[in-house]
Amino acid sequence: MSVPYITSRLLYGIPLMLGVTFISFLLMVHFGPDKTYELIGKNPTEEQINEVRQSLGYDQPFLLRYGNYVKELLTLDLGLSDSSGEPVSSILIKTLPISLALVLPGFVLGNLLGMALGLLAAWYRGKWLDKLVMSASVVGMSVSFLVIIISLQILLCTPYGLNLFPVRGWQVHGLGSYFYYVTVPTLALVLVTLGYNTRFYRAIMADEIERDHIRTLRAYGAGPAELLFKHVLKNSLIPVLTRIMFSVPFVVVSGSLLLESYFGIPGIGLVTFNAITSGDQPILKAVVGLTGVLFVLALTINDMLYSVVDPRVSKS
Amino acid sequence: MMGGAWRRLKSDRYGMTGLFIVIVFSMVAVCVWSGLLGQGWSDVSGNRWESVSTTHWFGTNLLGQDILQRTLFGTATAFEVGLLVTFCSTLLGTVMGALAGWYSHGWLDEVILWLKGVLDSIPFYLFAAAVAFALQGIPWAMHLAMIITFWTTTARIIRGEVMRIKQREFIEAARAIGLPSIKIIFRHVLPNTFHVLLVQASIVFVAAINTEVILSFLGLGIQDGVSWGLMLAESSQEVLAGHFGNFVAAGTSLFVLLMGFNLLADALQDALDSRRATA
Amino acid sequence: MLKKTKIIILLVLLMLGGCEQPPPTDSGLPAKIYRHAMDGAPGSLDPAQATSLYAKFIVVNLYDTLYRYKYLARPYQVQPNLAVAMPEVSEDGLQLTIRIKRGVYFIDDPVFEGGIGREIKAKDFVYSIKRHFDPATRAQGAWLWQNRIEGLDLWKTEGSDYDKEVIGLRALDDYTVQITLSRPFPQFVHTLTQGYAAIVSREAVRKYGQMLSNHPVGSGPFRLVSRDSVRAVLAKNHGFRQEPFDLTDEGFDPAKHEKLGIQQLQGKSPPFIDQLEFEFITEDAARWNAFSAGELHFIKVPVSQFDNVLSQRSPLTLSPQYDGMYHFEASPEAGFIYTNFNMADPRIGYHPDQEQNHRNHALRCAMVKAFDWEKRNEIFFYDIGQVFPGIIPPSVPEYDADSDTSYVQRDLKGARELLLANGYDETTLPTLEYGFPNSVTERQIFEQFRNFMTDAGYPASKIRPLIFATYGDYQRAYSQGKVALINSSWTMDYPDVENNMQLYFGPNAAPGSNSASYNNPDYDRLYKTSAVLNESPRRTQIYREMNQLLMNDCVSITGISRTLLFLWDKETIMKPDRSFLGGYFMRFVDLVDSASSTAP
Repeated sequence: MSVPYITSRLLYGIPLMLGVTFISFLLMVHFGPDKTYELIGKNPTEEQINEVRQSLGYDQPFLLRYGNYVKELLTLDLGLSDSSGEPVSSILIKTLPISLALVLPGFVLGNLLGMALGLLAAWYRGKWLDKLVMSASVVGMSVSFLVIIISLQILLCTPYGLNLFPVRGWQVHGLGSYFYYVTVPTLALVLVTLGYNTRFYRAIMADEIERDHIRTLRAYGAGPAELLFKHVLKNSLIPVLTRIMFSVPFVVVSGSLLLESYFGIPGIGLVTFNAITSGDQPILKAVVGLTGVLFVLALTINDMLYSVVDPRVSKS
Repeated sequence: MMGGAWRRLKSDRYGMTGLFIVIVFSMVAVCVWSGLLGQGWSDVSGNRWESVSTTHWFGTNLLGQDILQRTLFGTATAFEVGLLVTFCSTLLGTVMGALAGWYSHGWLDEVILWLKGVLDSIPFYLFAAAVAFALQGIPWAMHLAMIITFWTTTARIIRGEVMRIKQREFIEAARAIGLPSIKIIFRHVLPNTFHVLLVQASIVFVAAINTEVILSFLGLGIQDGVSWGLMLAESSQEVLAGHFGNFVAAGTSLFVLLMGFNLLADALQDALDSRRATA
Repeated sequence: MLKKTKIIILLVLLMLGGCEQPPPTDSGLPAKIYRHAMDGAPGSLDPAQATSLYAKFIVVNLYDTLYRYKYLARPYQVQPNLAVAMPEVSEDGLQLTIRIKRGVYFIDDPVFEGGIGREIKAKDFVYSIKRHFDPATRAQGAWLWQNRIEGLDLWKTEGSDYDKEVIGLRALDDYTVQITLSRPFPQFVHTLTQGYAAIVSREAVRKYGQMLSNHPVGSGPFRLVSRDSVRAVLAKNHGFRQEPFDLTDEGFDPAKHEKLGIQQLQGKSPPFIDQLEFEFITEDAARWNAFSAGELHFIKVPVSQFDNVLSQRSPLTLSPQYDGMYHFEASPEAGFIYTNFNMADPRIGYHPDQEQNHRNHALRCAMVKAFDWEKRNEIFFYDIGQVFPGIIPPSVPEYDADSDTSYVQRDLKGARELLLANGYDETTLPTLEYGFPNSVTERQIFEQFRNFMTDAGYPASKIRPLIFATYGDYQRAYSQGKVALINSSWTMDYPDVENNMQLYFGPNAAPGSNSASYNNPDYDRLYKTSAVLNESPRRTQIYREMNQLLMNDCVSITGISRTLLFLWDKETIMKPDRSFLGGYFMRFVDLVDSASSTAP
């Protein structure tokens, strides 16, 4: 991988980032929610309304506001929340670890289990076990995330079911309380992703297992574990990495948005959800802008990884 | 080719089950649209939270509305969202994908790829929220948000297909006799992508219905009427007090329909697989 | 694989590293921690922005105000807080002199010299009120004092320079405040109990600016430890002034309060608890479950649990299963719920054409008749809300128990006849927008409203929902007259029904709190006459007359006052309050010693 190639990939990311920031700015800020009327006192005069608009920066010209937005993202000086007055960056720093702690176990488990089931299905391709796993994964894909969350809550957190876990909240003081609060959200996340993961891993593993050298090894009696770690996983590393990398923004932002607003967990998803329903622009634009930028970065890194593995890519 | 595909589909038990489910639900939707079913979704016909009975098969909700009526009407909503989003996003994706593929590595391709990259980079629910803000009060805000984000996958697939087909001999021939590009694309290239489109459309359909549920829960869903997503959002406030009517009715319907579509999509993919078709 | 799990566990442990320790106590006893459930989260904790009920609840615990309400006396009575006594009022009622307590200090904070909190002076109060008239503050309380304090509005137009003195708002010396009103304002002393009137220091505002919300520097009974989107933790302010609790002063009534154990507090100095935790739990079911599991000391019972909690509605009786476990109180909310017609909308409000104006009036009256208050009460308030005609609710002394209630009784036949007589049918009825901010309950309320109207022959397709993503956007829309039917709730700011009467005063029209944009010269004249009067039979007479005008004009479908049910466990010694006393009661909360510190 050459230096000019890296530079060109990075340069390619710039218009993409400009596009992301521009669209999120246009929708979230220019056409976005208006907090003026929530921040004025009762019986306001026209003048007071304008004062609040001014202090929110709504009266500035479009391009100036967009320019400020890009500057904010570049300097990571994201301003203050319109609701609580807290610096957005400190809100993000406080909430991001919670979101990670919330979704990481589910994400890892979902992928590991998916990998295991996918391998199992691929190994016994066409047999009843394959069919069972595949049918189960279609069932899994057909249940809505929301239905899973509500069902698990009924089954595990209420007197109508086992009543083992809390209905909501996140008062984590140690490992015990961590498991107490994280179990149900983790299960939900695993269940919703497992069907898709299993199918994905089965597809790539089936391709690998069909390859001649693997077939030969198998014929010589190599065990599934040896084959998996020594050969199959190594060869399918790139598609797996790609998938994991691209699902991170989904899991952290979208997954936590639903889980946290449902279970009342003070992570980045709940903060974003509250920002949506209260029209807190500084938080919204920071979250959208930053995830967009991170996604573009992931995209660029991914491209580079590909070119390491397959040098032809960088030439075309 | 299509005849063979149909034969293969017919012999696929799972696929036919899926098709059957989809047909039943679409018939319900058609009946709702033509005024035969579900017209009483908004009427109060009982007391608060009545349990299951012969008059109210799934009981009633807080207001005393019949949950069965609302579930039936919700079927029509699901199809309306699914069809509209699938049609528009497929159309948009096909046109964009075809243009990008035909003029691959040209400036148009670059612009389309850039647009696709930008849209893919914004977390979907946030994007939907943003569109909902921008189009406040417009009934189609949610549909538009989905169309704008869902076309990109279709476009990517079509772009690849078009780039492949472009190199085939009959296209070369059509170009040689001076047919205009637009004509070649629409007359000769796109028809050859039909099987891919069909599978992709069924996947989009599932995604649209699934997404409606989440967006409705987040408060970004449909404006007037009732949907399974709204019923589930309602149920999330009721289940802990022991009222399961909304949850069971909407949750089950949603599951069965999605299951039907997933089975059908799988079967279609197998039946239309070009490698198998040409083999 | 094992390694991976280990790393993850380690990572997680690292993330969770900073958990709080219970605060130290004076006596070495376990810390007394009181956990209070709130059904929403506060926005800013800057007193100048303490608009929401939730923010006000917390702000009055962090900061001092000159006055508060008595803990136990009902109806509410004003009691000096930081002030030494009630204001000395001049004969014409325009000049008030207030002395403040000596030796009261702000909490320690780096904004002060040496990090030690300095004494509060009269100038701090003056500064705190002036802030509301400084556009840089983004303050929300100016409406309380606008055009009422001599020179204050002028001070603003001249550029809000804090070094310039305002004639009507002066610190005579370090401990004396003098206020000059531009016209009599009987409710003035109530405005000094508001969170808006809490006393901040200029040093803190200068240093923290907009971030004052996260660095409260006050002199209240508690100080802020931490706050995020789901909870706020406050700890006892050990420097809080020693003022022994006096039963008689606070309005103790043995018949009502002895069973709560409040007499035990006599002679002790508040605050009695070491730590105060607010849990913001918006979902009803989740809040109830947390309370049932013993994680909270207090809850405002969610409506969906009324069936479960009550064995009988009149008189309200607690179910036997809860009777032994909890203290219980039912209290009417200080406010009401109503649906305004937008009178500025020619389709349904005022119309230049006399005949059409008359027909619009008939349409509004028909909709009022079609509305079913009984059903609304049953479905959404479990039959224990109080329905009353107009805007004078049963909780205020001006309420007339013998008044004619036909305005809030459903009359479908009358509604249909009225529509028919005025030439309204399915084709000629106008299409009206009913606005609401998005939520499941709001949508249910809308569907019920639409059903009430269709019962009277209004086509369902002609009552359109207009849904807004945020409450602010909804407010903007109706403030700009874009919504025909405006569903609102009003929470009274102080215990004087004048606060309700101003809701239909012409000059307060949208974007003011008169969201109906009602404009009746008779009503306005009566309001002006009554505004300078103290509570009296004459004033009551005028208010009832105004109430009747509103009903004659069919301006609003109104109203209902919710009944709030409070439950708190028997370890907790308190009398909770959610209206005018609000957060002020928390300094008087105590926990039975043996049962303290039950951290889960």
